[in-house]
Amino acid sequence: MSDDHKHAPMVDEVSEFEILEIAVRELAIEKGLFTQEDHNKWTEYMHTLGPLPAARLVAKAWLDPEFKKLAVEDGVKASLEVGIDWIRTMPTQFGTPSDYCSFRVMEDTPTLKHVVVCTLCSCYPRPILGQSPEWYRTPNYRRRLVRWPRQVLSEFGLQLPEDVEVRVVDSNQKSRFIVLPVRPEGTEGWNEDQLTEIVTRDCLIGVAVPKPGKTANDPRPVRKALKPYDH
Amino acid sequence: MTSINPDKIVLDEEMQARNLDNSPIDLLEQIRQEGRCWEDLAPKWGVDNPEPPWKIWLEATCEVLADRNCALPALERRWEEDDLSEELYRDVPFPERQLLALAHLMIRRGLIDEKELAARTKIVEKRLHMAD
Repeated sequence: MSDDHKHAPMVDEVSEFEILEIAVRELAIEKGLFTQEDHNKWTEYMHTLGPLPAARLVAKAWLDPEFKKLAVEDGVKASLEVGIDWIRTMPTQFGTPSDYCSFRVMEDTPTLKHVVVCTLCSCYPRPILGQSPEWYRTPNYRRRLVRWPRQVLSEFGLQLPEDVEVRVVDSNQKSRFIVLPVRPEGTEGWNEDQLTEIVTRDCLIGVAVPKPGKTANDPRPVRKALKPYDH
Repeated sequence: MTSINPDKIVLDEEMQARNLDNSPIDLLEQIRQEGRCWEDLAPKWGVDNPEPPWKIWLEATCEVLADRNCALPALERRWEEDDLSEELYRDVPFPERQLLALAHLMIRRGLIDEKELAARTKIVEKRLHMAD
């Protein structure tokens, strides 16, 4: 190996939280709450997760009307085309308490915008979209989106015209959703890889829309609820 | 007008009826006050990964606790995590807040013991520092 080889930067300091995470896990294993083997399986599975399959599904749907029809009608079947088998690839082989579901692809139109939430907890289409962002888990987003969707979307920088209907889809333990946004102008002639790049996680949740040249999510400041409800 | 998910209302009522003990736990209070968070450590060491490496193990722990033996149902864990996050650990960044909440509710539910956890943190700390 060359002397010039550089390692990626790493945190060479053990934090109290790192210690706590290990301690909780080791104690739980000792007490028989789960096994190291089961934990390893979950960890390996989670390493495989990310938003790319969902982005590719959208890109394919934009390019192929037949695939788009399949995606909207049978999201689970369409997912196989991007390498996601909702039923057989989970660590437990039959889904998990929080993941086995009917998976639906919600198609936007120029006059209809979908946005995904889980008002109950933070159900999320992880097999195809990876781990949920922090803001998606917060009571602030979950409580307010269903009541004031336009206001919440505007906080994400998405101002919608009055003639666009906003439809909030509420995930639960059985049903998960992604949004199939409208293909943006300026992408004529693009191939699948190019289109996949602009379908960000936030576009797939519905709090952003794809734009040529925009390939990353914006940072999301977590705001406190302006109008929290009592529950 | 959108109505609140009726399942959410039922869950809220069930969980609130349990009168969960959200009072501070000494060990976790000490970590909350003195612990070094990823959002401080990462820039200090020039690391741009937005999440600490241990987050994936924490997520796996949460999943596996809800799996098979179902020692800690996911829905109840998330409800309690929200509750603790809005009160006791509101000033702690994510995912450190998630970890503190998980440890807190596991202790309060009797899944692990605070003294045992304190002893184990000392053992882990010693082991990790020996590896330096």
